[in-house]
Amino acid sequence: MSLSRWIAGAALVALSLPIAARADYHLRSPDEIDEGELELEHNGAAGFDRNAVNSNARSFTAEIGYGVNSWWHPELELGFERAPGPGQSTNANQVVWENIFRLTEPGEYWADLGIYAEYGFSTVGHAADSTLFGPLIEKDIGPTTQTLNLFLGKNVGPNQDNHGYDLSYAWQGRYNLWRAFSPAVEVYGDAGQIDRIGKFQDQQFLVGPVAVGSFLIGPLGKFKYETGYLFGATRASANGTVRWKLELEIPI
Amino acid sequence: MRFLLASCAALLAAGSALADDAVHLSIRDHKYEPARIEVPAGVKFKLLVKNEDPTPEEFESFDLKREKVVPPGQEIAVFLGPLDAGEYKFVGDFHQDTAQGVMVAK
Repeated sequence: MSLSRWIAGAALVALSLPIAARADYHLRSPDEIDEGELELEHNGAAGFDRNAVNSNARSFTAEIGYGVNSWWHPELELGFERAPGPGQSTNANQVVWENIFRLTEPGEYWADLGIYAEYGFSTVGHAADSTLFGPLIEKDIGPTTQTLNLFLGKNVGPNQDNHGYDLSYAWQGRYNLWRAFSPAVEVYGDAGQIDRIGKFQDQQFLVGPVAVGSFLIGPLGKFKYETGYLFGATRASANGTVRWKLELEIPI
Repeated sequence: MRFLLASCAALLAAGSALADDAVHLSIRDHKYEPARIEVPAGVKFKLLVKNEDPTPEEFESFDLKREKVVPPGQEIAVFLGPLDAGEYKFVGDFHQDTAQGVMVAK
């Protein structure tokens, strides 16, 4: 792996350290760099809970990305959010610059390794900006692919409401059945501030089945989808969350 | 942070040994040559894909869990295996009608 990749990834991580965290439900892979391809992506999540105060949280994103080279994939994202509870509205809340740096060639070492770093600019008055960074790890085991994300996030700017780093993580175990459909299991967790991690029941932890697939669409490229239902396993989590991702990859 | 760096180093250091000889594949006139290629089963190996066309192609295979763009006139390396004995399909993502191949591991 080239020294320049390590330097670029480390520099971006260092520059993005003082920025805040934003949680969303989809895994990032160190191997999702598609050099020379334009990517249009939409992610969504809808939470449901028996307690109306904690129900109907919504988040949506519209993203555009590009594979600049074989190891760097930046994306620009517009985020929308609806807070849980009755009487809430859906509003644009963030513009996020995301980056994936691939540090190793797929299959060259025991596991594939990348770095993820993002900066979120708040579009809501008196809300903090945010940053998120951490390793992306992926490994094929037989007919399955295991993907792990470990993130530290932080609020930053004059409106930050805390000064600590938040630890979040996500894992997907996927059985590669067919291109159009492969079943997977996903876990998403948020342990809270890393220097004051509380009881597990007070942390967010969701687990559930997901369907993953893609279709080749000739010269237009490829259409990808993910959809699933995540069960909340702690009292700090919504009872259930539907999540989905739609993506179009266009070679240009 | 030290634990994280040490873990990353361990991930990179471990792994299967690579087969001695690389396997060669070419793209010419938006077709793979050879269209049927034999590779060793049970060992990790390096596949070298050379694009002899003036336009880019993407080596893609769901069976092999790989996709990588091959710029025009350039050669890329794809690390594969260990593969079980059998057949694995691959395509050229940008010319799916013509760029098709099968990798036979034995």
